[in-house]
Amino acid sequence: MNHHRVVASALALLLAAGLCAQPVAPSDVQASDNPDDERGTVLDVSWTPPRELPDVPGMVPIGQQVLYRKVGGEIQAGPLVPLDASSASLPGLKPWPWPAWEVAVAIVWEPAEPLRAALDASRWTLPARGAVRSQFTAPVRPVGRWYDPTLTNILISALLICAIVLGTLYAVRGRAEEIYIRPIAGLEAVNDAIGRATEMGRPMLYVSGLGGVSNIATIAAMLILGHLARRAAAYETEIIVPCNDPLVMATEREIVRQAYTEAGKPDAYRPENIFFLTDSQFGYVAAVDGIMLREKPGANLYMGYFAAEALILAETGNETGAIQIAGTDADTQLPFFITACDYTLMGEELYAASAYLSRHPLLVAQLRGQDMAKTIIVAILILGVIAATAALFGGTVAEYAQRFVGWFAA
Amino acid sequence: MPLVITFLAGLFMAVQFFVPHEIGVTVYRGMLDWAMIVASFALVLGISSLLRTHWEKIRRRRRDWPYSIVAIVSFFLMCIVGIGYGHQPGTVFYWIFDYIQVPLDATMFSLLAFFIASAAVRTFRARSVEATLLLVAAIFVMLGRVPSALLVMLGDTGVGQWLYDFMPDASEWVMNVPTVAGKRGIIFGVSLGVIATALRIILGIERSHLGGGGGGGAVGP
Repeated sequence: MNHHRVVASALALLLAAGLCAQPVAPSDVQASDNPDDERGTVLDVSWTPPRELPDVPGMVPIGQQVLYRKVGGEIQAGPLVPLDASSASLPGLKPWPWPAWEVAVAIVWEPAEPLRAALDASRWTLPARGAVRSQFTAPVRPVGRWYDPTLTNILISALLICAIVLGTLYAVRGRAEEIYIRPIAGLEAVNDAIGRATEMGRPMLYVSGLGGVSNIATIAAMLILGHLARRAAAYETEIIVPCNDPLVMATEREIVRQAYTEAGKPDAYRPENIFFLTDSQFGYVAAVDGIMLREKPGANLYMGYFAAEALILAETGNETGAIQIAGTDADTQLPFFITACDYTLMGEELYAASAYLSRHPLLVAQLRGQDMAKTIIVAILILGVIAATAALFGGTVAEYAQRFVGWFAA
Repeated sequence: MPLVITFLAGLFMAVQFFVPHEIGVTVYRGMLDWAMIVASFALVLGISSLLRTHWEKIRRRRRDWPYSIVAIVSFFLMCIVGIGYGHQPGTVFYWIFDYIQVPLDATMFSLLAFFIASAAVRTFRARSVEATLLLVAAIFVMLGRVPSALLVMLGDTGVGQWLYDFMPDASEWVMNVPTVAGKRGIIFGVSLGVIATALRIILGIERSHLGGGGGGGAVGP
């Protein structure tokens, strides 16, 4: 062990002497804010690496290391880059309120084999590496962005659609009763479904899908449940709501309780009929299938977001002979529901259901706003097709056409 | 108060999408953390509901009540082995998950193949123009995906070989042109519906999800 200690001491002395005798460090170190960094946590560092490194006996240079520190703070190690590199990014800096950093670059040396093995065997706490660093730069502060300009097209489109929807809503709200809403068979059938379940003396099953409470399709499903529960309460028909999310369960209980109260039947409300099963997708399917086969509901309603379980649910419900109404915005599951259910609300019809069922003037007026927005989207699509075609022919017109298409595609 | 909270939270989420600034990101993450905290409280409600539902079933000896015993025992078993012995790979919890839960899930998922077959048989009866179009499109897609079936059916004849070359292209066209056009139409409608629903919730026009009368609260005809 003593032998190793002697070797290690000699090495350390050699390293210090060699590096001090011929100090060669990167020069002209510059640091600046990374323009692509949105959060303000990255600096771009550039420097001039040394042309030649001195020969230090027993030592090899292993790379250049970016070093940084807060003004007057401790030095921290940044990324280690190859010896010929002249720039690097310094990521992971402390974000807002974005302190200023001083940056330097060092050449890092390491003992070469077999001396390195001797050093390792010595188990000394002597530094196994040496470094010669440049001067620190003046303090540089990375800055985050308050606005992402790459999203400008989305922002303008969203504002335009919101303005159209809200503008139309307030323009026509006084005469909302005159607005024609095309009959939606699936929603017209809701009353039939409740009536059928009532006549058969069977409950209704309402499945609000796999989405959590933050899923907009689940929210739409909960809105429909409110209307449905009012009617079910009026007919005194039992409604079973198995949930796969505890928050959805809690919200749906409150919605149904309120619906029964508004229908003047608060005593008929049974909170145990709205219950949590599991958040496992196929465990949930198995449990709901079991409920269908045991309870034999007179009507099954599937509203909200569904995935691979859609057809398993709908086919099992079909086998029990229940009238089935489905509504989802998951385009991949729509064919399965159309195949296995009596009525299907496709995409936007799910979101229109609340207005359709309630006929509330503001909600109906908003449907008109959606239609106006849709008209404008169709017009833009037609313009886009023309522009994309024109872009193929070259010339000034093609350039503008390409810009028009590119603005939407960016 | 709930409407004010909904409005402020909704507005913040909309604005935050366009702001990459650290403040926005930090508040956004904080709100997600709060959502998780609220969800964890709701989980207590969910577990209580689960246990109460199955206990009532056992107590009243409802149909298939023994399965409720399995559900309750499984729940407590997973709690005990998960809390007591951890849930890292190699633990009992993991073993039960890998060798019981995953195969059970896979079993349910595999039922889908049979349900697709039964649904397809029912749907592909050409009883109307729409059903006939669906049937024709399905034939193109299925044979395009497995064109060797044509060679088996028709042999290596001129027609068989021509269809073998033609069907994959026809299948791709069906999938890429009419199917995508239809899907995009649906997606446009869905997107507008999502924006409209979000707007009426953020602005308090729709309140029935809060359990109040509000916009959607009125009982329809």
